[in-house]
Amino acid sequence: MASQRDVKQRITSVQNIEKITRAMQMVAAARLRRAEQRIAALRPYAGAIRRMTRQAAAAAENVPSLPILNEHESVETVGILLVTGDRGLAGAFNSQILRAGLQTAAEHEAEGRNVVFFASGRRGVSTLRFRNREPKAEWVGFTDRPSYANARDIAAGLMTAYVDGEVDLVEVFYNGYISPLTQEVRRETLLPLQQATILDADPAAEEGEEREHARSLVEYEPDPEEILHRLVPDYVEISIFRALLESTASEHGARMTAMRNASDNAAELIDDLTLEMNRARQADITQEIMEVVAGAESIS
Amino acid sequence: MARSKFQVEVLTPEGEVFNDEVEMLSTRTVAGSIGVLAHHQPLLAMLDPTELRLYRSESEVVRFAQGEGYLQVADNRALVLVEEAHAPEELDVADLEQRLSQAEETLKGAEKDSEAQRVAQRDKRRWEAFLRIARG
Repeated sequence: MASQRDVKQRITSVQNIEKITRAMQMVAAARLRRAEQRIAALRPYAGAIRRMTRQAAAAAENVPSLPILNEHESVETVGILLVTGDRGLAGAFNSQILRAGLQTAAEHEAEGRNVVFFASGRRGVSTLRFRNREPKAEWVGFTDRPSYANARDIAAGLMTAYVDGEVDLVEVFYNGYISPLTQEVRRETLLPLQQATILDADPAAEEGEEREHARSLVEYEPDPEEILHRLVPDYVEISIFRALLESTASEHGARMTAMRNASDNAAELIDDLTLEMNRARQADITQEIMEVVAGAESIS
Repeated sequence: MARSKFQVEVLTPEGEVFNDEVEMLSTRTVAGSIGVLAHHQPLLAMLDPTELRLYRSESEVVRFAQGEGYLQVADNRALVLVEEAHAPEELDVADLEQRLSQAEETLKGAEKDSEAQRVAQRDKRRWEAFLRIARG
């Protein structure tokens, strides 16, 4: 049986761990709230871009053919973007993305296609490197709080690779945020961009009045086709930004849950250890009494 | 005499940064500088990085360093959609200089007429514009 002092030391160390995990849980909860607000903040912007695109497309009569809208004739090389976090201790958050990405890569390779990886987040980069899958490009250091500029950099890297013919298809894997307790792995095709995604009317915003505006008297600077040339790539940036924001919210949610479990386990462990310590103390006392009694008996 | 006012909303992917009535809005489209007063005709324009000025009155001006974006005017309201909008005092000159030199570096190494070259050019123009604002 462990001595009282040993058990006491273990209790202290578990208590310290519990303090840390509780603190991490609290930090994650605060950051999660902020991350949720940022997802909500993106919505009006994305909606306005969509309305503007429809207006410009209606005025231009059609969407001009842009390189990122064109499907490549045959798909020989697939680009896979993995959106992970910079840090661990967040349950299955990073590993489920990596597992899904590597599995898809294996499927593509089984069908004779090449795969190149792109990674956002240190965890993804280090695991890919460990698996001998050197990422073609990596973006790290911002997953706690991604900015639009980060999304723009990633989008530029991917679109460049697509337009310059280095990849023929780009897929993205990220943790979609459902609730603090639930995140799901989402797989989306980023490039080529589907015309349908752009012009798909979002039913709430579809108003007849908007169409009127498009044709009557609106001054365009420059002409609508050229505006579309810039609006369309914005969709890729927005999709990536949304993926980054959802991934960040998921990361904080996953970490909060993981840390709550760790704290609960620590509390349970402390209870068990306290019981064990009491038992040890009891045993010590019993032992002492027995020694005293035995000593007294031997004298009398 | 005070001019009549109109509603201006400035939206970025990170949320709304301005929503108020102003007398005049001044920014820069790809074709050149533009000032918008109340009752402007409907407009859809593409914006270049520059200093966005919102005149609440002649003396009270709100300034932002704006990234690329769009300006939509309809029904006497203006909507400014930009990728980023920072208060000029938030800009960090050292950081911008580093980004600019990085963009110039990329530009030098980029192949002619490649997408990479266009991206680097865009970056370079934006950081140059922001630097001008940061330095006043």
